[in-house]
Amino acid sequence: MAAAPAIVFRDVNKWFGKLHVLRDINLAIGAGEVVVVCGPSGSGKSTLIRCVNGLERVQGGDIAVLGASVTARGVNLPALRTRVGMVFQSFNLFPHMTALQNIMLAPKKVRRLSHAEAEKAARALLARVGLVEKADNYPANLSGGQQQRVAIARALAMQPKIMLFDEPTSALDPEMINEVLDVMTTLAREGMTMMCVTHEMGFARRVAHRVVFMDEGQVIEEATPQAFFAAPKSERGKQFLSKILTH
Amino acid sequence: MKKTVAVVLVLAAGLALAGPVVAQQDTLEKIKSSGVLTIGTRTGSPPFAYINKNNEWVGFTIDLVEMLVKPSVEKAVGKSIKVEKKESTPPTRIPLLTSNSVDLIAGTMTDTPQRRESVDFSLTFFYTGAQFLVKKGSPIKSINDIGGKRIAAQQGATNAKIIREKYPQAQLREFPDQPAAFQALLQGQVDAYTNDGIQLYGLKAKAPNPNDWDVVGDFYSEEPYGMAMRKGDTKFKAAVDAGLKNGFESGKYFEIYDKWFGPKGELPYPMTPPVKAYLLKQIGK
Amino acid sequence: MSYTFKWSVLWTGESGRWLLQGLLTTLELSALAWLLAVALGIVAGALRTVRFAPLRWAATSYVEFFRNVPLLVWMFFWYFGVPPLLPRAVQDWLFNHGAEFWAGMLALGVYHGARISEVIRSGIQSIPRTQFEASVAMGLTTFQAYRLIILPVALRLIVPPATNESLNLLKNSSVALTISVAELTFQTRQIETYTAKAIEALTAGTVIYLVLCLSIAMIMARVERRYAIPGLIARVGPAA
Repeated sequence: MAAAPAIVFRDVNKWFGKLHVLRDINLAIGAGEVVVVCGPSGSGKSTLIRCVNGLERVQGGDIAVLGASVTARGVNLPALRTRVGMVFQSFNLFPHMTALQNIMLAPKKVRRLSHAEAEKAARALLARVGLVEKADNYPANLSGGQQQRVAIARALAMQPKIMLFDEPTSALDPEMINEVLDVMTTLAREGMTMMCVTHEMGFARRVAHRVVFMDEGQVIEEATPQAFFAAPKSERGKQFLSKILTH
Repeated sequence: MKKTVAVVLVLAAGLALAGPVVAQQDTLEKIKSSGVLTIGTRTGSPPFAYINKNNEWVGFTIDLVEMLVKPSVEKAVGKSIKVEKKESTPPTRIPLLTSNSVDLIAGTMTDTPQRRESVDFSLTFFYTGAQFLVKKGSPIKSINDIGGKRIAAQQGATNAKIIREKYPQAQLREFPDQPAAFQALLQGQVDAYTNDGIQLYGLKAKAPNPNDWDVVGDFYSEEPYGMAMRKGDTKFKAAVDAGLKNGFESGKYFEIYDKWFGPKGELPYPMTPPVKAYLLKQIGK
Repeated sequence: MSYTFKWSVLWTGESGRWLLQGLLTTLELSALAWLLAVALGIVAGALRTVRFAPLRWAATSYVEFFRNVPLLVWMFFWYFGVPPLLPRAVQDWLFNHGAEFWAGMLALGVYHGARISEVIRSGIQSIPRTQFEASVAMGLTTFQAYRLIILPVALRLIVPPATNESLNLLKNSSVALTISVAELTFQTRQIETYTAKAIEALTAGTVIYLVLCLSIAMIMARVERRYAIPGLIARVGPAA
């Protein structure tokens, strides 16, 4: 926790047209820290995480990732993004490529690895997510949980320092959620810096170092999971938890 | 897939075979029952047949039909009839005729032996021959000068055929219609435009600066214009020919000629003695 | 008194040679125009979906300008309108070296490029935006994302409408006869001129176009099967 911050938000503001979706966000995430961002839908949590790798531009404030600004003019976003992996709600595997090819693509095209090197690394990653035997399957022939594990392996292939997860289990059938959370848990235990938008409160309780609760574009409270789940300080936090934990 | 191809081919062939073989009735009978003589003619070939400034469909050939052919056909069917005009172009005129869409092609169609295999022709009602329209001062003075030159012609015209066969050293460019070919000459895409002399005089008169252009060369083809009819319909042909013959004999034909091609006509094109002799020879004079 | 068919006009005299020449010209004209159209279509179609507005406007202007004017007008434009802008010597050289063919090729290619770009744009837009985001999130540049992900998927999705557009291009190549390109339709008219056998000549032309179009449709169906994305596009036909 004492390490230099990996991600710093400073007075970040963002609008979609007239809609003020992020309001004065100030937040720092340390290297090796696992942060779960939660909140009701429309609270701005997905937008927040998408600003970290520049998928969304902000209109005010500054975001720095690994000491480099994301929001300044003329930033080399592709270079920055190689150090920040992202996993999406809808998996987003490339449908015309096998699982192995999906993982090998960026290492070959961006890191300029040889085919053999990229393949070796990709197979190792597939082993890590428990899908060695699915290397030659196309996405359409994988279950949702398997697709999301391949997507995690694909993000890891660039050897990122930070991993962003944008509701990685929301599109999954219940019986597949755990296989994905298991991979994420292992990753967290290995010391990866992680920012996760998720409703999986069990995961937050077990794995996160910190929970950030958002509503209406603002960070309402930050706390350890133990403190947050035991007794949220804010009224909105209490309401949110009562809704999400009763079912 | 192969099966589909076969079926489609058979269908196509079947249509091609079945389509045109409609029972063709006697044209005079048809005119008698409908009271209409339908002619296929041009809309943009002044002064033979064209739409004039007042938006009327007029011309030399149309006058010949109205004043000479129509009375003769009326006599043959024993009642008065109307003349209806449809547009026909070189590629469409024979199909229009064989499909019974029109009864008579009266435009600027040259009477040739090949065409006589498909249709019958009336007496010749106009005689011209192919020449060249060139820019004044062009090295092209006759057909002997066209080697290596770019020559525009109208596709479907007999003169294009002659050039292709007898003067292959010329670069022939064939256009589907006269305006495009003439435009190509005006802009220099081609060095000369060849067509029947009468057509070239018409174009020259219409050019932005008529004096910049010359019609050159002797007739290198014979272009006797005739009216075309369905093959083998002798009674109808006799009626059409009788009308024209009557025109030559009474002098009515020459009055109409003078109206269009005389000094005050739409396009002055005085009839030369050999042409007059040729026309009259048809009726034994 | 009925029309007498004489199919032999199609193989006697020079008819056979003319039809063959016309066929080759049609194929050459269509193939070159197709390559141009596909190249323009991919570039314009892709540019119409990018975020950078000036590129999008440029591509939109190209598409709307060229597809909304009749092809015949474009033929005249490239043949009659463009050469006068060139020096006289260049014009003469062009006119002696098949200017009408190249004008026809440009007219066809640029016109159908505008139409194909619409097909490609709709293909790209049917791909979820998140595919693009996933591509750039890994560090690919926008150009790489289009080249490696968006276009390869889009091109597979649009094979059927692209086939349709390719067939249109082939058939539209006959418009080039208006500027004196001696392609297939021109040659069938030629046969009609020489023999006065219009039905036979038209039938020959029809059958040749039909066979060409069916062949292209079959080749494209094969391409579609060969590059089908497993599970993404439902295939009709026996399972592999």
